[in-house]
Amino acid sequence: MRETLALTRYQLAVLLRSQRWLAPLLLYAALLAVGVRAGDPVLDSLGFAAAALLPTAVWLVRVCVTAEPAAARHCAAAATGPGRAHLGGVAAGAVAAAVLGAAAVGLVTAVGSRGSTDGGDAVPAASAVVAGVCGILTCVLVGTAVGVLCNRPLVRSRGYAVAASVLGTVAALVAGASPARAAVGALSRASARGSVDVPWVPLLCALGVAGLAACAACAVAARRP
Amino acid sequence: MSWAVTLDDVGRRYRAGGTWVLRGVDLEVRAGTLLRVEGGNGTGKSTLLRLLAGIEAPSAGRVRGLPGVRGYVPERFPAALPLTAAAYVTHLGRVRGLRGRAAAREGTRWLERLGADRYAGTRMRELSKGSSQKVAVAQALVGRPPLLVLDEAWTGLDQPARAVLDEVVRERVAEGGAVVFVDHDPARLAADADAVVRVAADGRVERDQGVPRARAGAPPRSPAPHFRIEAWGTPGAGAPAGLPSGARCRVAPGGALSLTVPAAASDAALRTLLAAHPGWHVRSVRQEDAAREEEHAVCETDSVREENSGWGEAGRG
Repeated sequence: MRETLALTRYQLAVLLRSQRWLAPLLLYAALLAVGVRAGDPVLDSLGFAAAALLPTAVWLVRVCVTAEPAAARHCAAAATGPGRAHLGGVAAGAVAAAVLGAAAVGLVTAVGSRGSTDGGDAVPAASAVVAGVCGILTCVLVGTAVGVLCNRPLVRSRGYAVAASVLGTVAALVAGASPARAAVGALSRASARGSVDVPWVPLLCALGVAGLAACAACAVAARRP
Repeated sequence: MSWAVTLDDVGRRYRAGGTWVLRGVDLEVRAGTLLRVEGGNGTGKSTLLRLLAGIEAPSAGRVRGLPGVRGYVPERFPAALPLTAAAYVTHLGRVRGLRGRAAAREGTRWLERLGADRYAGTRMRELSKGSSQKVAVAQALVGRPPLLVLDEAWTGLDQPARAVLDEVVRERVAEGGAVVFVDHDPARLAADADAVVRVAADGRVERDQGVPRARAGAPPRSPAPHFRIEAWGTPGAGAPAGLPSGARCRVAPGGALSLTVPAAASDAALRTLLAAHPGWHVRSVRQEDAAREEEHAVCETDSVREENSGWGEAGRG
């Protein structure tokens, strides 16, 4: 566990110093600028912020698992094992996306209106934040799963990886079975009704999906160094 | 602590149906041994080393007994990482289980010992090839991994750093670690290698016979021939640094040196004596009865090395 934390920290340092976080950050900022207006109902905006975070998380995970040159990746893999080294990169991408998500929750709650979509009952701020955090985390986890499944070591060629990531992102946002869609849907339904219902079930499902995807990728990491 | 990495009938290929880079490899690397891997270009030496370092899994067969933490120096280390040399080495120390400050301390010590402390604060992508190779060596050593895998780690290092790496490898083996290496210089650690394996063009690995196994950790000492070297030096000079392991030396206060070395290491010992400052004047070299070896008062020739050793206070948590 400690090794995985150390690896995550190492990957976050590489991400931070490489400035490759900038492009996904700009994407997310642009999406929020288009989709969130001051005075919009807060739960609606949180749902949009969560959905927009999904492609951002996919991109950040891609950046993190491809950040190191092969030689450096081999050195880290020798230090504790290739699976763990890969997990460090995946975790770093997810953490970076979660940080963006946390900032978005703060921003959206600050500028959004407390009302429901039809301008009716006020939504309590605390429960709106809890529901928003749940939705954001769900999208971070689903985005992480898509990023993990569509990149090295499972998909090694850059072209296929990017194409698969785009398709995976669209599928994760629109497919009926996707926890991300369920979480975003729950937020906008809550906004329409004016009563908060926290999307716990999608969050737990997303956790399971991300865990399974990470296990699969880490198991393959040693076969495809 | 005794351990051994065992390769059982290991094969490796990079795609299903592709050619086997390695096949039918049976190999054991025991604690306290130094293994040299030889073979032509493109025969699979590096693949064998990556299997031993636990970076790759075999496509066939099994690798057993890998220690949890390994050190690996890749063949080429063009690490275009945005981190500074010191930060990178510290991160790798943490990954091997050191606490933050201990990792930074140990990393700095290794960079110093290899002569890379001047660029500790430089970003790695700005380093020259040789400097970046020093960082590659330092990252493998930090955290004292019991198994060290060196893929042409000497290439690109300057002469002092090469000597340091030779010394570190000997220390590591003497401490009970195992070191596996590939190097194109056939004289590299020739006197110290416990075994040599050769990777053939068809991907098979065979053991070279006739290599002395003359150290703790290796199977029992054989009564291999020993040489006694007598030399004169400056009165009061201590034992010369950098003698091959297995050498036993006695220095009289008057400057007379008597050195007993395994036959295979005698050339290396003579080289060390002739290259030393202040110099030694070699008076005689004779073959010696193995049985008489025990009569000598034994002094540890490694005492000089230990002072500047980086293994010191590891502070593992």
